[in-house]
Amino acid sequence: MSYKVLYYVNQFFGQVGGEDKAGMAPVMKDEKVGPALGFDQLMGEDVEVVGTIICGDNYFNENNEEAVKFIIDAVSEKDPDLVVAGPAFNAGRYGMACAGVAKVVADELKIPVITGMYAENPGLESSRTKAIVVETADSAAGMKKALATMSELAKKMLKGEKLGYPEDEGYFAQGKRLTVFSDKRGSERAVEMLLARFKGEEFKSELPMPVFDRVEPAAAINDLSKAKIALVTSGGIVPNGNPDRIQSASAQKWGKYNIAGKDSLEGEFYTIHGGYDPVYANELPDRVAPLDMMRKFQKEGLIGEVYEYFYTTTGTGTSVGNSITFGREIGKELKEAGVDAAILTST
Amino acid sequence: MEQAFVVVTNNPVVGKDLGEIMVVDGSFEDVLLKVRDLVYEGHQLISHPIGASMRMLFSPYRSVLVGAERSETKEVYALTIESSIDTFRRSTANRNVDYVNADDYARIDLELLKEAIKEHGIIQREKIQEVQ
Amino acid sequence: MNLELRKIEIKDVVFGEETGVKDGVLTVCKQDIINELMEDVNVKSIKVDIAKPGEKTRIIPVKDVIQPRIKVEGKGNGFPGVTSEMVQLGSGKVNVLDGVAVVTIGDIVGFQEGVIDMWGEGAKWTPFSKTLNIVVDIEPVEGLDPHTHEATVRVAGLRAAELIGKAGKDAEASTVDRYAMDDIFTETSKYPDLPKVAYVEMLISQGLLHDGYIYGVNSQKILPTLIHPNEELDGAVISGNCVAACDKITTYQHQNNSAILDLYNRHGKDINFVGVILTPELTTLEGKFRTCDYTAKLCKTLGVDGVVVSEEGYGNPDSDLLMICKRLEDSGIKTVLITDECSGWDGMSQPLADTTPEAVAVISTGNVSHVVELEPADRVIGSAEAIATLAGGWEGCLQEDGSMVCELNAVIGATSEIGYHNLTVELY
Repeated sequence: MSYKVLYYVNQFFGQVGGEDKAGMAPVMKDEKVGPALGFDQLMGEDVEVVGTIICGDNYFNENNEEAVKFIIDAVSEKDPDLVVAGPAFNAGRYGMACAGVAKVVADELKIPVITGMYAENPGLESSRTKAIVVETADSAAGMKKALATMSELAKKMLKGEKLGYPEDEGYFAQGKRLTVFSDKRGSERAVEMLLARFKGEEFKSELPMPVFDRVEPAAAINDLSKAKIALVTSGGIVPNGNPDRIQSASAQKWGKYNIAGKDSLEGEFYTIHGGYDPVYANELPDRVAPLDMMRKFQKEGLIGEVYEYFYTTTGTGTSVGNSITFGREIGKELKEAGVDAAILTST
Repeated sequence: MEQAFVVVTNNPVVGKDLGEIMVVDGSFEDVLLKVRDLVYEGHQLISHPIGASMRMLFSPYRSVLVGAERSETKEVYALTIESSIDTFRRSTANRNVDYVNADDYARIDLELLKEAIKEHGIIQREKIQEVQ
Repeated sequence: MNLELRKIEIKDVVFGEETGVKDGVLTVCKQDIINELMEDVNVKSIKVDIAKPGEKTRIIPVKDVIQPRIKVEGKGNGFPGVTSEMVQLGSGKVNVLDGVAVVTIGDIVGFQEGVIDMWGEGAKWTPFSKTLNIVVDIEPVEGLDPHTHEATVRVAGLRAAELIGKAGKDAEASTVDRYAMDDIFTETSKYPDLPKVAYVEMLISQGLLHDGYIYGVNSQKILPTLIHPNEELDGAVISGNCVAACDKITTYQHQNNSAILDLYNRHGKDINFVGVILTPELTTLEGKFRTCDYTAKLCKTLGVDGVVVSEEGYGNPDSDLLMICKRLEDSGIKTVLITDECSGWDGMSQPLADTTPEAVAVISTGNVSHVVELEPADRVIGSAEAIATLAGGWEGCLQEDGSMVCELNAVIGATSEIGYHNLTVELY
């Protein structure tokens, strides 16, 4: 039995270019390019990578419809038994693109997908339930190991073999809870687990509780009319030209801009956020970051003043780790500036 | 804590003889959503919004006891109604509402409601009002 | 208290002239049973059938399952407080017809669930495919109010088990299980170094079809109560739960409560099993707060080091389970919870209706939404409409060849939250 595999990589691993080529539209190469070659060799004789799709990370995230159409057409043409994407390691936009590939191929075309990511890649959350996502190192230094694990699992997937436990096989748990027979009845397992707890031994709960990241809200403001309110957004609203080159997705930084004396952001700001249709935000950025309304309230005496600096970043595809860092950094500045409260808008 | 209650329900056999009722013209889910709105308006959540078995989630009818007076929105009530709505939606996503046995569900919902009222204690307000 | 459960191994059940046991074969006189049960004016008709493991027989909808027994030494035959007069249970000698179960059918409402398949795929998912089942179909007279209807069917089933149990009066037991436990102080002085463990058994207590009874007292009326494990093993707790086929604690499972048995097994060896606390799952939030506070306080008063908590049902009882867990863990008492989950057909949904980070040790007895395919049966004991209800769950349930897919939710005892069955859930 011989199998066909279709491979997806970004512009960098597709050996086209670096950041400068992140906007490239997808192309289909009949050859095995980059990791596709290594993967093909690991898969042995029965399996062949029949094509490599190379697509710019920005393109995929900003032109989702067209990119998805390309994937669908490519799959239709090549008729693969399996689609492989990445591995994306910790590259956020690449991870998001792989997640996008997984979504269309697994959900709509019903073909199995395998990819690889680092635990903090923002693309992991949405892809792990649709594809088998192998756990990788955070950089391409882990390529060899990643491909080795991916190929082992791919072989099983092609043969329709059941995969072992995620922790044994090296992929991220998909969150699928499977009911199976145990050799011991439930109450016996319960008593054993209690004894393990008494003895301080390790045990594994059969039903892990989700952990929610709860943040204590700050105390309410006593007198709003005297309060200094800051405006913060993850809606990607930046000054024209995006002078600090904040990313459209998977932001690596935030920006801080002086808005003293401005009654609105119109004309001087626009959106670089890759996750929504920009037309109305570009017309009037206050629709996303409502400086105009805040000025209105200030004039009416509802609030004391608007803090002179406006903070911004892009939320889409931004890792939880980065978000926590940005939040802390911006929060620290606001606190030092004596800001009482912040309006934080997202999209 | 004894206080006057209101029955929020879409069950046609629940009558005014039980006390103050707020009729919801809609589905089980609509009843839960109405309860949610009331909780956020400060009404106490008296009975748990969902039943004790999967089967009862397929009932077309549901009655929930809510406090008649507004006070404050309490976290535990908000969390309970929100997670109930979530559980309801998740558990019934692929299922049909069991209209075939609608009459039986109506009777059982009424019985369970009566037990809930007994558990709570029967305290009535002076006027009986009917609100949409 | 000292209780002996003397197991008479039954290899086959047949109908015959006289009810009795000989050489491991139980003979049941059908007419005697029918006559006795018909003495209740509320009973219109009784049918009795036998279903054996391996037969392509389906029993549906099951109301309760009861183990036939007879007390040969000591007081309290039958079900004191319900079918016989009140006595203190937990001591004496009981002859048990081991391997036999009395299964009652007869729905009070059309949506009642509960299937037992005696063969094939379905049989794997219920423990009662392995018992020799005497199926009693109880039809009450018309016009009964629902409470009386339920009570009639419930009591008739218990009486049937009592009658059949008499067959074991003079039979010889092949194994004898002894349950001896003195008062807490005596036991603790015997085992001063063993950790003290209590078992908290939650019971559905919310109204019609959602009831439990302790010596005949409806559990909705009680505060959490300390009970000696022997009492439950001796028949003090019976089921009035007619919904949630998969996790309802049938009377049989009360009589053979696996959590009690497994804790008892370790008593004096790894643990000092101090007792059972029966906790009602109430409907109102205030009621839940009260029972959960009270349960935790009872545990603290007993000075326990650890508690096993079992649930009955799914949905609002999940709140009680986790509240009890949190209160105990916050007091430094270690808990293990036993519960089933509802993670959807694909196993991807959040498993419980509620969550709490203190629940670090949980046994899952299965996903109630797990879908199984049941082949068509040669014989159905019970109601065809019940099959339609089962099959009407969603489009495509019932297939052309008569086989159907149904959720574990509908299978008796599949996801028993006292841990009676051996399902578990693994994460992939």
